[in-house]
Formats: sequence, C-alpha cells, structure tokens
Amino acid sequence: MSIEDIFQSILQLKRGEIADLVQAEIDAKTDVGAILEQGLINAMGEVGNQFSEGRLFVPEMLRAAETMKIGLEVLRPLLVEADIKPRGTVIVGTVKGDLHDIGKNLVGMMLEGAGFTVVDLGVDVDPKAFLDAAGENRAQLVAMSALLTTTMPVMADCVGRFKEANLGARLIVGGAPVNQDFAIKISADGYSSDAPGAVELAKNLVPA
Amino acid sequence: MRVQCQILSEDEKHRVHAESLKILEQVGVKFLSQRALKIMQDNGAKVDQDAGIAKIPAEMVEQALKTAPKSFVLGGRDPARDVALPRPTTGYVLDLGGVFTRDFKTGERRYATLQDNNDAMRVFDEMELSSVVWPHSMVEGDTPNSNAIRLILHSFMNSSLHVQDEFGEPEEVPYIYEAMAAILGSEDAVKERKLYSVTYCTLAPLVHEGGMCNAYLDMIEFEAPILIYPMPCTGSTGPCSLFSNISMGNAEALSSLVLFQMAHPGTPLIFGDASGSTDFASGGFLEGSPEMVLMTAARGEMARFYGLPNTQQGCQTDAKEPGPQAVMEKLLTTMPLVLSGADLVQGPGCLETSGLLCLEQIVVDEEIGGLCNRMREGIDFDDARNLFDDIAEVGPSGHFLMQDSTLEACRSDEFYTPKLFDRHTFERWVDLGRSDTYSKARERVEEILATPQKNPLPDDVIGKLDEIMRRADEELK
Repeated sequence: MSIEDIFQSILQLKRGEIADLVQAEIDAKTDVGAILEQGLINAMGEVGNQFSEGRLFVPEMLRAAETMKIGLEVLRPLLVEADIKPRGTVIVGTVKGDLHDIGKNLVGMMLEGAGFTVVDLGVDVDPKAFLDAAGENRAQLVAMSALLTTTMPVMADCVGRFKEANLGARLIVGGAPVNQDFAIKISADGYSSDAPGAVELAKNLVPA
Repeated sequence: MRVQCQILSEDEKHRVHAESLKILEQVGVKFLSQRALKIMQDNGAKVDQDAGIAKIPAEMVEQALKTAPKSFVLGGRDPARDVALPRPTTGYVLDLGGVFTRDFKTGERRYATLQDNNDAMRVFDEMELSSVVWPHSMVEGDTPNSNAIRLILHSFMNSSLHVQDEFGEPEEVPYIYEAMAAILGSEDAVKERKLYSVTYCTLAPLVHEGGMCNAYLDMIEFEAPILIYPMPCTGSTGPCSLFSNISMGNAEALSSLVLFQMAHPGTPLIFGDASGSTDFASGGFLEGSPEMVLMTAARGEMARFYGLPNTQQGCQTDAKEPGPQAVMEKLLTTMPLVLSGADLVQGPGCLETSGLLCLEQIVVDEEIGGLCNRMREGIDFDDARNLFDDIAEVGPSGHFLMQDSTLEACRSDEFYTPKLFDRHTFERWVDLGRSDTYSKARERVEEILATPQKNPLPDDVIGKLDEIMRRADEELK
C-alpha cells in the first residue's frame, strides 16, 4: 500500500477500492497532507492533463473525479483536525433564465479535483443568489455559465453587482455563445472555452 | 423507382413507439409551466404537483395523434414560396441558430449583426431548394429584450420565405402578430396564411421550459404551426445508445404533441428532431456525426409512422471553417434524410455545430441538397425512358449525341447539372483561374448582394414594421 496506489486508483477509475486505500494510509500514519496532495490532487491534475490531450473521455474524467471524492470524504475529518484548508472556495452556477448545466457541472467537478471547495448553486441562478452565496461562503471565485444568448446579459448584470458590492471575489464566465471578447466587454476576470481551462484560470486567479 | 433509404424496420418503429409510451407513463415529463401542468392534469395525466412531473397515459397520446393535422401549408411571405407539408421532395431550412458569423470579407469569426441576418436571408432567397428561414441569434444591440422581434421582422423584410423562430416570452407575441397583419393587410389573414411558425425545443432529458411553453400556449390561439424539436444528445443529455436516445426524443416529442393538442385540438405540428451525439473528448454536442443523422432520420420515419409532417436536423457539420470536413459531413448528414423522405432538412448555412453563419456555405449547401435530391429521384423506368428504338437506330458503334432524345434529356431533371463543381478539362480549369467550389460560391454571394432585392415589401409596410420595432424597444425595455 502506498500513496502511489491511491494515485493509480483514481487514474484507473477504481471507485470501489479508493476508500480502503486511503484508510490504509491513514492507519499507517502517513501524513494526511501528503495523501491529499500527492495522492488525490496530483491524480486529478494528471486526469486533467490526459483530458486536455484528448486521451481521457468525459465519462472517464467524471468517474475519476467521483473516485477522488470518495477518497476525500475518508480524509476530510483528518484534514479539518490538521487544519489543512482547501485551496479556495468557488461558487458555480448557470445564470438566471438558463437551465443548461452540463458544462457547469464539468467545471465544478474538475475544480473540486483541483482542491477547491465548490458551492454549486445549480441552474437559473439569480444575480443576488450569486452575491449572497459568495458573501456567505467567503468565496474567492464565482464561475458563471450560459448556453442561451438571451441569458448572457445576466452575466454582465452579475459582474456589475459584484463590483458594486466590492466583495473581492473574482468572476469567470463560460458557455457556448460566450467568448474572450465578451468576457472583456463585461469586465469579467476571465473566460475559458472548456473545463480544464477553467481550472487553470481558477488556479491563476486564486493562487495557492 | 425513387431511391428509398430505410433506417428503421416496421418492428423497430413499433418498438420505439412502445418504449416512448413506457417512458411517458412510467417516468413522466417535467413541466416548468403551471399552465401546461394543469392542461396535462385536466386531460388525464397523473400529476405530481411538487415535482412538476406529469405521467402521460397512452390514451392521451392516441387522442392527440387523432387531432393533429396530417397536412397544412407554411405560408411564404411571397405566396409562390408557400411550403405544403408533407412534401414529395425535400426542402431546406436556413439554419441561423448560432450567434457567430464568419465575416464575408475578412473571414474573422465574430458575433452576428442584424446586417448578417439580412444578407443571409437575401442569399438564401435566391436558392432553388430553400423553403423556410430561421433568423440569426444575436447577442449585440442596445435593446436585447426586443432583439428577437427585430430579427423576425427584418427576416420578413429580406426574405420572401416562411419564417420560423424560437422565442422565449409571451410579451413578444402581440408584436409579431401585428407585424404579420401589417404584411398581409388584415388580421384575419394571419391565421389563414401562416407566415410564421415557432420552434419548440424540449430540454433533454424530459423537461418542458416555463417561459417558452407559456408563450407558445398564448400563440396557439393564432393557430401558428409549431415545430416540435427535441435535442437529446446521446451520451450526455440523453441515454448512451441510439435506440434509447431515439425513444426518449420521441417521448419528448409525443409529450409536446399531447400538450399542444390538448390545449388547442387541431394545432398544426411539425414532428421534428435535432438529436446530437456527444464528443466524449470534450462533452460537446456533435451535429456532423453519422450517429446524429441516423437518429434524426429514424425520428423522421417515426413522424411518417404517425402520419405527421416533419423537419429533421441535417446538412450539418462540426467543422470550424469552410472546407473538406464541412462538405463531407454535410453530405453525410443530408443524404440519409433525403433518401428516407424527410419533408424539410434544417441545416444549410451554418458551420461549427450550427454556431457559425457562413454566407458562401449557403450556396455550397444548395449544391449538396441538389445532389441528394437528385439521388432520391432514382432511375426513371417509365416506358418513355426506354430508348430501345434509339439503340436500334444507332446500332453497334456510332453515338447518341445526335438523337432527339439526347437533345431533350440533356437539360432535363434526369441529368443533374452542378452549379459549383468544376467539370472542365485540366487546361481549361487552369485558364479559368483554377477555381474551386468555395470560390465559385463566394462569387455567387457577391453577385446576389450586389443586385437589388427582388421582392421587397412595399415602403408603407416597412414603415409599419419599423414603428412596431420602435414600440417593442420602448415597451420591452
């Protein structure tokens, strides 16, 4: 048993094995920070790389993220005890008027894999709900998604309200009709066309 | 005989129907509109109010199938461009569902403008196989709440064809009907001529949106045709098998059929499909894949199984720019639909999974449609086409170029004459500047846009439409 086994169990999508592997490392008194970083987060980093290169498919990436999460749940009480904090908190949601959530879910799962705490507000999210959730959770980042052209103006509205409230959270946007120019136009802090890109963006905007 | 491509056997059609009924009865469909949910409940569905889910019994489907019209006409703004459904040959729907345009001059990919919409309408109007137009989607503008109205009215101004669109709010309905009354000269003619129809996309899996649903329930009083257009994506928003994705899409379509027939029996419905397949490497929606067209063609066969007119997504590509991938995918995703007898194929004009308008692609797609429609006509075995007497007259050796039958046939529909393909000798092709398909298409676009519009609306009608748009800007702020 080793941290490498945990790492490999995620890459090999063995969700039935990871809880026992993590528990075995805990029982062996391995440093919990090392299990988290080298076992879980690094594995998801590799998953992200393989996905970006087209070697891993979405259903496989999702199963890897699910496997990682099972391991994380076993580890969580010890992380709290050891005062090891997540990398940051991200609010994710599809904006008001829009019910499409596949892209948003992919981004959320990959952000969790990268060590962020993700608060998913779901779909049809009002700008005020984004604002409230960011305040309540002291979020460093808010990630908004839209698939419909008619709901894109809600993103601009949301960015405006955050600037007004001066909460300090950074805002990123994504979705099929959105592009970099639009993000700049509405003064968002970033745009990504896919989920791995959104993770990179989050890492840049919320340094460890 | 005409060439006939069959995607589903009779037994498979019955299996799709049975699975669809099972989904409707056992899983049910979610309605985000309380009005719709009440209609379903009042007509016999088992409704869970808290979940917003209606479980629909087979009897409701059977009843709806009885009242849905089997034929009707989509009126063109020019009556000569009316589209009677069902059709003996496939017609084409200009697909401007995306928000991006490939700038005709620079090739740059940018957000679409109203001018792009109008240019596309002008070009498509000149295509022989064109039947229906979808206005562009537009992000930019100072009045986003009245964008949809502006695009629809400008489409009427720049196209002589039937206009079909999707809109999201009941507040938009009166403006569009006022505009049609202005174009037709009377309110009574609006119901009769049906210049405008709407596209109703269910939200896979198995959800009906709220605002759009309410808007269409308002509009149903005007007897506007509704294109029912589920878009389940096998492997993401739909189950990961073509069989089950077809069944689920069919169930979504049947649930829409039930809703609109219960709300207003006799509402003209087009039983369509815009299924997609998942790009597993990115999670993206694919429209240029063989799986996509197998599903939409199968759903077209289901429409004919029910005796309903249909529009199927096809002539699509996931290519990002004009070129070989676009042409191959578009040909692949048009031919099976045409050969299986689709009434209308929605797709010409766009690249990038319906996301990017490309004016020259409209002309290339006309050629693809022409080739496919020619294939559909097959081989004519009428006695008049038996040229035994010519064979006897010419005899062994000699040639047939001088025969009367050859002279008559060389410009007939039996021999397709391409508008874009080059068939010159190599030397002649070089002399002519080594032109390719897309450069010829560009020339045609330039020619169309440089000439005045052939069938413009009278100035006084345009004045009325301008006034309606101005009012919509004010009132829908």
